[in-house]
Amino acid sequence: MADFRSQLLRIATSLVRTHGFTREALSRSVLELPAGKAHSEPLSDGAVSSLFGIGEYARKSLIEAWLNEGIIQMASKPSSSLSHVLHTRLNYNEPVLPYLPEAFALLASPERGLPPLDPRPALKHAARIADEASYISGDISSQLSWYTHRASLAVMYSCAELHQLTSPETAHAFLDSLLTGSSAFEKSLDEVHLFSGYVLQSWTGILRSRGIL
Amino acid sequence: MFSSSTARRLSRCTNRRLLASYAYTKPSSPSDAAISATPLNITDEQRAALDSALRVDQAGEVAANWIYYGQHCILGKQPVTGPLIQEMWDQEKKHLEVMNKMQLQHRVRPTILMEVAKIGGFGLGAVTALLGKEAAMACTEAVETVIGEHYDDQLKEMESLPSTHPSVPLMREVVKEFRDDELEHLDIAVTNHAQRAPAHALLSTVVGAGCKVAIELCKRY
Repeated sequence: MADFRSQLLRIATSLVRTHGFTREALSRSVLELPAGKAHSEPLSDGAVSSLFGIGEYARKSLIEAWLNEGIIQMASKPSSSLSHVLHTRLNYNEPVLPYLPEAFALLASPERGLPPLDPRPALKHAARIADEASYISGDISSQLSWYTHRASLAVMYSCAELHQLTSPETAHAFLDSLLTGSSAFEKSLDEVHLFSGYVLQSWTGILRSRGIL
Repeated sequence: MFSSSTARRLSRCTNRRLLASYAYTKPSSPSDAAISATPLNITDEQRAALDSALRVDQAGEVAANWIYYGQHCILGKQPVTGPLIQEMWDQEKKHLEVMNKMQLQHRVRPTILMEVAKIGGFGLGAVTALLGKEAAMACTEAVETVIGEHYDDQLKEMESLPSTHPSVPLMREVVKEFRDDELEHLDIAVTNHAQRAPAHALLSTVVGAGCKVAIELCKRY
């Protein structure tokens, strides 16, 4: 049953561009099953609820499946260029842009009254993309820089994605400007770190020559 | 006839070519799946266990490096103790190099407490070294006892991982090798009068308990 559900979700993600993140997309997924297994009628509302959850839970399942598929799509086009990987992910949004604002709002809606907004799905979405992009591009950061690298990528990608929702034509250029700015900032930080190291070495030498160390 | 530490050293000399860690430190084929890929056919629970295991191992090697760094800062110039600490530190550097590569290979999140591990390790090493070389050795004895047991427990957990992926048997061999190295350090510490340290029992208990707390924290965070 779990495999069948997963199969239907995968098919439904391809129907999002025509039907949006709706129960109808889930219902019509059975029509697109391989020959021999395809149904002649869409699933009933009761069947959709049984398989994917009642009300908005079904739509949330579809949105999460679509986001998972986005991660798989990123990995299917490996590149050593971080910029290329993130642009690929932005491209994945393009066919379904009109449906995304509502989809993200639905994910951020809490299951119960308070708090009014749940930021965790958004953070998880950005973190997954940042981690996957880092892995695909061959990032070798370790220890604390593992976190800082991914945090900065997550912020940049989130900003670019939000920009894409309002101004899709300039989203890719906006992402490029963020990546360029970030690498310049990182270079400056590295130079400060290097300079600090030299200063520390000089002071150590001075203290040693005075017999203090 | 030979002590256990001597037997381990002799065995190590004859098997120098066979060390599992050479797959990472002297790779013959960088694209070999054993050192470049992670098993995908494991359950979510096994993935979480692998994740926390490697996270703790990496943090432990970072802490061990900084403990020896702290000890070396104080005792590095001593004619007998200095070279001993340097030898053990060099081995920990190799361990850390391998753990860093395994962390990347298996896509493990490193602990966010890494800087705490460095500061804590350096502080522990320096303070025990200031108490004297026996106290430094007692610190090493306590730490390596906990780490040796920890690697042993991990080996038992790793038995449940499927051996079909080449990285899994290699990971087991690496953990076995590192466990043996840590136990060798324990033997060195005991041979070099760790048990003559002032308040040895108290020092060992405190250091050992601290290590266990650190392990539990790094598993989660």
